Amino acid sequence: MRFLSGKYLSRRALIRGAGAALSLPLLESMFPAGRAWAQSNAVPKVRAGFIYVPHGVTMARWTPAQNGRDFELSEILAPLEPLKQKINVISDLTHPQAYGPGGATAHHNRSSAVFLSGAMAQAGSEARLGTTVDQVIAQAIGQDTPLPSLELMINEGSLSCGDGLSCAYRNTLSWQSATSPLPMERNPQVVFERLFGDGSTDEERAARRAQALSLLDAVSDQIATLERQLPATDRERLDLFLTDVREIERRIERAGSRSSDDLDIPTRPAGIPEDIDEHIKLMMDLQILAWQADITRVTTFQLASELSNTVYPASGVSDAFHILSHHSHIEENKQRFAVLNRYHIGLLTYLLEKLDSLPDGDGSLLDNSVVLYGSGMSDGNEHNHSPLPLLLAGHAGGSLEGGRHLRHDPDTSMSDLLLALLHKLDIEQPNFGDSAGALSV
Amino acid sequence: MSRALVLSVIVGCAAIGAAAVWYTERGAVDTNQVATVVGEYCLDCHNGIDFAGSLRLDDKDMLDIGEDAEIWEHVVRKLKTGMMPPAGEPRPERTTLDGLTANLEQRLDRFAADNPRPGPTVLRRLNRTEYANVIRDLVDLRVDASTLLPLDDSSEGFDNIGSALGVSPSLVESYVSAAMKISRWALGDSTAPRTQVAYAAPQGLDQSRHFDGFPIGTRGGMSFEHLFPLDAEYEIQIRRGFGRGSGRIDFTIDGEPIEAEGIGNLRIPITAGPHTLTVANVDTRRSAGVDDIYSAPPPTGGIQLVEIDGPFNAAGVGDTPSRQRVLICEPTSSEDENDCAREVISTIASRAFRRPLEAEDLPPLVSFYDAGRAEGDFESGIQRALARILVDPRFIYRIERDRTTPENGGAHSIDDYEFATRLSFFIWSSIPDDELLSIAASGLLRDPEVLKRQVERMLADSKSVALVDNFASQWLFLRELESVTPDTEAFTENLRQAMASESEQLFDTIMREDLSILRLLDSEYSFVNEELANHYGYAGVRGSHFRRIDLPDGSQRQGLLGHASILTVTSVTNRTSPVLRGSWILETLLGSPAPTPPPDVETTLEGDDGATVAMTVRERLEAHRANPVCASCHAIMDPIGFSLENFDLIGAWRDTDGGQPIDTQGVLTDGTVLNGPAALREALLARPEAFVTTATEKLLTYALGRGIEYYDMPAIRAIVSQAATEDFRFSALILGVVESEAFGTRATGAIE
Repeated sequence: MRFLSGKYLSRRALIRGAGAALSLPLLESMFPAGRAWAQSNAVPKVRAGFIYVPHGVTMARWTPAQNGRDFELSEILAPLEPLKQKINVISDLTHPQAYGPGGATAHHNRSSAVFLSGAMAQAGSEARLGTTVDQVIAQAIGQDTPLPSLELMINEGSLSCGDGLSCAYRNTLSWQSATSPLPMERNPQVVFERLFGDGSTDEERAARRAQALSLLDAVSDQIATLERQLPATDRERLDLFLTDVREIERRIERAGSRSSDDLDIPTRPAGIPEDIDEHIKLMMDLQILAWQADITRVTTFQLASELSNTVYPASGVSDAFHILSHHSHIEENKQRFAVLNRYHIGLLTYLLEKLDSLPDGDGSLLDNSVVLYGSGMSDGNEHNHSPLPLLLAGHAGGSLEGGRHLRHDPDTSMSDLLLALLHKLDIEQPNFGDSAGALSV
Repeated sequence: MSRALVLSVIVGCAAIGAAAVWYTERGAVDTNQVATVVGEYCLDCHNGIDFAGSLRLDDKDMLDIGEDAEIWEHVVRKLKTGMMPPAGEPRPERTTLDGLTANLEQRLDRFAADNPRPGPTVLRRLNRTEYANVIRDLVDLRVDASTLLPLDDSSEGFDNIGSALGVSPSLVESYVSAAMKISRWALGDSTAPRTQVAYAAPQGLDQSRHFDGFPIGTRGGMSFEHLFPLDAEYEIQIRRGFGRGSGRIDFTIDGEPIEAEGIGNLRIPITAGPHTLTVANVDTRRSAGVDDIYSAPPPTGGIQLVEIDGPFNAAGVGDTPSRQRVLICEPTSSEDENDCAREVISTIASRAFRRPLEAEDLPPLVSFYDAGRAEGDFESGIQRALARILVDPRFIYRIERDRTTPENGGAHSIDDYEFATRLSFFIWSSIPDDELLSIAASGLLRDPEVLKRQVERMLADSKSVALVDNFASQWLFLRELESVTPDTEAFTENLRQAMASESEQLFDTIMREDLSILRLLDSEYSFVNEELANHYGYAGVRGSHFRRIDLPDGSQRQGLLGHASILTVTSVTNRTSPVLRGSWILETLLGSPAPTPPPDVETTLEGDDGATVAMTVRERLEAHRANPVCASCHAIMDPIGFSLENFDLIGAWRDTDGGQPIDTQGVLTDGTVLNGPAALREALLARPEAFVTTATEKLLTYALGRGIEYYDMPAIRAIVSQAATEDFRFSALILGVVESEAFGTRATGAIE
């Protein structure tokens, strides 16, 4: 039956379940003021967020005309005006590894793959890239929270990606190691359960946590028994499974050790909203919730996937995303593409303003965060990778200034920026990806 | 000359001498001819200096080719698909090339027969699709795996490739949480809280027409299966889109009409378990006749959403198919409980693990029953044990026992249960049924007659639709249809679905009627509904129902090359792409994918000023082929693609493009002249082995869960030549795959 349709979240149903007025945004209904865990922490923890948009932007309408502190936001970046002092526009960087072996014609999958890795996507039956910066951060600062990191996306993952490249390069931005891509989740209901557990009452959630732990325990035992009969190649694969079993045990135990008195758990979303704008904002709300409740400190969010042809009715542009990015050098197309780019910046602003409205320590949650936004492509028509459209938001707990348009030598690798980010978060390592040294930000 | 080089030359000569004797003894092959032909037509480029395509043949031993089998298989592939020698270079007579190919193949096959190499076995876990199918067959429950498990990665064109099916913490978490949910859903969850679930109609679907399978006299609508957790009351709300009128709605549950006057909340008692809800607008206007029914505009806006809220006033867990499937005994006293629990658990576990339990397997599972029983009742014990089974690595992974010994060198035949599992995942994407397991138990499964009957039985079973949905849709790129966005108003959601359906039904028919797989290329019939018939310009097809029609005489639409589905997925957003169509045929039908463009080559067709718009695609490509770097590949791809230029970007027929008449002329590298779809089809069918070989490679990839390597080619040729004696019937290919050495063998890294 071809007309079978999927479950999605009726946001109205969600709000009704929460017993709140229809117009009330999700977040407020979920979090009464003064109840979040994060605020009880004496020393605020820094959070790191990464947001990816595919297909580049109309660069001429993205890059601010002036440099340094005294600059005006461009047409595309204008929605960020209220937060101007908390953002830095980063110009002129490139990602050389996006061009592929021997500088072959670059394409989409390599753009998303390189963005947080600074590594070249490898062809072959097994995907191979490099640990991405978000996962380096998660391994350093994510171990105290129930979830080391949270990976979110909007579009459905692709099942067939062409060019002999694994779909993993397109379907995720996060790689725990060179060979372990982390799946990104698009269903708010699944994200919700990952954050809060499955169940409608505290008792039920606790009972299910206990059941899950006993199941995981049994899995570990079973793997140990099985491995005795298996050859090395199979053992290696089951060992990877076992490592993840242990990780989930750790997460559940950590979640169980939280006192849930501190948190009003909101009503579970019923699925994926039909409206794309609503879907994106709901995912952002869940990200904010996860940060505020200190369930995780690292999130990576693929606002759209490479080659996505999503139409965003709320943007006022009726063209499909990828198609429009191939502007054929027609000025009117570029202009419409800029409107779409600006709409995406509007969504970023939604997230940042929410973060800025939430108190955290002496400042706001945004002050204690760093959010990197950008694309692995520059001009979607040319499929080139320099200069990349990039910006940083938040003060990273005080280590990052704001209100600047920073320019660099052309051909500086974006890996230099990623390395600088690690340093801002006190993660000392000499290199990252193809970096030549940390960028001065 | 250095000492090492002298040595290697001597050794090399000795090897040549020995091999020559060896072949001369068998007397069948004239190897001298090979060396001459290769020397004359290949070595000018494929030598140590020019090193064309990173390949040199001048240093290869042409008498003993087994040691360089990987390279010679590559050569065979290029020769068989006519890619070599390239356009513009001297080319021998076709008979000479065929003779060369046959000679190489025979010697490679003989070498392989003496040096069997089944290829490595990779550990595979259930992917999303398989997981959902297995749950259906195990506990009679339909689940939406996309909400339970993360997306799988695919490789080699399929999403069931062992090396690409990785693990992540999210995946483990998902398996655990899915196991707990499914065990609750299967037995009924008396604590199920009130929840709202909304089902939305697919966006963009035009509901002004009657949908196939919906009640007569209705328009549009939606139909879905919902799992009602308990015997209880549920509130159902139906919402319509724009122009919401007061027209009546036809609402049925499992085909039983529910009185629903218009839209609004409706509270009705519904029994626990899965039920199919179908909602559609009733057409109340008078109509003059059949034509009027199918052409008039819709009475009201289409159905947009159905929301189910509940349960209210729950009466119990009810009697669901899942409960009947799981609870095969009913304890009448507390003494009975233990025995019944053991029976239930061992029955489910042996189905889930695809083999009978050993004595030591049961206690760890029963301990979960005991824990659940201690906290609740018999059923909560069963529920716990079921969840335990569903997280077991023997369930999640397709683990095969290793029987490596020093004697077998790491390659050995799998046992009958393991064989039954490979078979059922290949044909059904699911676990073996009880019949297959019991034949495995009898030890007769691999008896050729028994195996043949089982394969035929499995193909006849409705579950074999997995080969259409998973295998064919990935092989032929039909899944890509879901993500294409042709920039034309003629392309609608309804048409998208109809396109996919046509190709799926052709494959399904070939499978179920056990026809020659060549019919994929030249079927003289097809499957259309009114939507698609209009798109093709066929008169007299009315209504939403798909039917088999005989194509008009001389139709250009015979076989897949005339299907709008294929023609659409091989176009780009705003125009046709002869390059993509050519490369699709090379890769998907001929198994010889064109290489990706070399470095620093401009691959876009647009100029800087947009002035190229008025040029035809052909004109633009001709310019592009003027570049010799591009021409080497495009001379092969483009003529193939040009021959389909009469089909526009969504597969509708056209005679002009950009105001210019369509020009379908082209010449293949072997000199074959093409001038349209029919000529292309004939060219493909003139050498059916190339297409059948590709089909077999894809089937074997899918069946083994790993990429095809050069050492698999002898087995593939054997399958193809056997199938040729049966006119390439579908079952002959399937049987060839399951009877192949690799399919029945487990090989570990030891021999790699």
